Amino acid sequence: MPDDIAEVYRSTYPALVRFLYRKVWDAERAEDLAQEAFARALVHRPENTRGWLFVVAANMARDEARRAAREKRHLTLLKSEPDAVHATPEEDIDTATRITHVRAALDELTPRDREALLLWDAGMSYDEIATQTGLARGAIGTTLARARRRLVEAYDAGLEGGRHVARG
Amino acid sequence: MSHVDEGPLHAYLDGELPSAERTALESHLADCATCRANLAEERALRERAVALFGSTRPAERPAPPFDQLRREPKRSPWRVRRSFAWAASIAVALGLGYYMRSPNSYMRSSSPRPAAQTPAQPVAIAQPPAPATAETKSAPGTRNAARPANKLARVTPTAEASGAAADTMRVDANMVSGAVAAERDRAAAPAPNLYVDGAPRRQLTTTWPVITRRAAKSILGEEPVGLPDLAARTFRRVPGTDSTIVVEQVLDSSTVIQIFQRPAGGAYPYDSSTLGAADQGRSRPRGYAREEQSRSNRLFARFVRGLRVEITGPLSADSLNRLLDQVAPLPPLP
Repeated sequence: MPDDIAEVYRSTYPALVRFLYRKVWDAERAEDLAQEAFARALVHRPENTRGWLFVVAANMARDEARRAAREKRHLTLLKSEPDAVHATPEEDIDTATRITHVRAALDELTPRDREALLLWDAGMSYDEIATQTGLARGAIGTTLARARRRLVEAYDAGLEGGRHVARG
Repeated sequence: MSHVDEGPLHAYLDGELPSAERTALESHLADCATCRANLAEERALRERAVALFGSTRPAERPAPPFDQLRREPKRSPWRVRRSFAWAASIAVALGLGYYMRSPNSYMRSSSPRPAAQTPAQPVAIAQPPAPATAETKSAPGTRNAARPANKLARVTPTAEASGAAADTMRVDANMVSGAVAAERDRAAAPAPNLYVDGAPRRQLTTTWPVITRRAAKSILGEEPVGLPDLAARTFRRVPGTDSTIVVEQVLDSSTVIQIFQRPAGGAYPYDSSTLGAADQGRSRPRGYAREEQSRSNRLFARFVRGLRVEITGPLSADSLNRLLDQVAPLPPLP
């Protein structure tokens, strides 16, 4: 018996948008892709709608990234952002700069670690994350622990780099 | 038992450790200072990661109506955009209707006060003379437990709020239904002096991850609480905190109340800047302060067993307090 997609839509749409946003880094595009994923779910009527949606969304985001890479090959995406980071506490860094740094830090993670973090943030349980990623359930805690540590370390290292540039 | 690895510690902090392992871990923690220190370190790491991650949320916009998706499976971005425009017009219409219907607009327009007004002295809640029935109904113990709630629920007594009160009560009497219908009569008696605006809060929390009842229990360490006779519950995990969950319950089609709960021993989650950072990328301290203030204007709290419980919703302060009195551990799952 397929899930009630309307119910899944109500409960999962914002999480799916967030999940996609961390992949395509464009809010409107993330919304488009999320809606597209749900529209496809209506056609396919998968058994496990939520899990299916995240798989489809991840695939769409990957295709999107490849397409963007082809179209924007001349742009160096992250380095184009000036590092306007001063030697200030974390709170004073404005949102855009913070997003740039978090994005760069996320890129430092392995795809699997990053995926686990994204799925956890989307509200998935360890069981669901295990199903989505193919990891053993018992490995999810370790994966998330490592992913969180690397995220924080890469973020801090990015800030240090920014400071160094700003001072030098 | 040798020292515990970071994996189980994170599973524990995430409320995902199976109960047998959880019990074993907790008894080990009681004896092992090293692991307790490790746990504290991993907790701090986890909170930072959650906050960093939360600070990259996209601006949340309402989901387009589901029916629109159903009618028109989309194939091109152009069509998607068009449907979104359609959704936006609906949202505007709904918003307008809400604005015209509801006295909420008073509080909403006055809520972004300067951060300078934020200082945390509890403003005495100008409680209306409480109806005698409410006093006598509660057991003395409950009454005492509810005391901190009054301190917590700060109110800036504004003329608008009391002006809104009369209208509010009329709406409330209709909203409260089912198991809480008995409240209707009492709710109609004295006018509240504080209008509790749940709408902005709801906007924030509806984006928080939905979890299962089982996970909620695991995070809290005991059965979550709620209004036992109301169905249609959603459980959410509050991002950026260790163990706060939200139980959403539907009073009627237009009224959802949210019951926040966490183990009573922990740090007060809304003091934490990490939660502010997790909400829609509000990363500036000024933003936190404002958020903090508007939040504290609508929260009421009490203790139920080992949990600290807060309630919020688009009801009057009076009604919320009464609903809060009825909150109890939900019956265990079969």
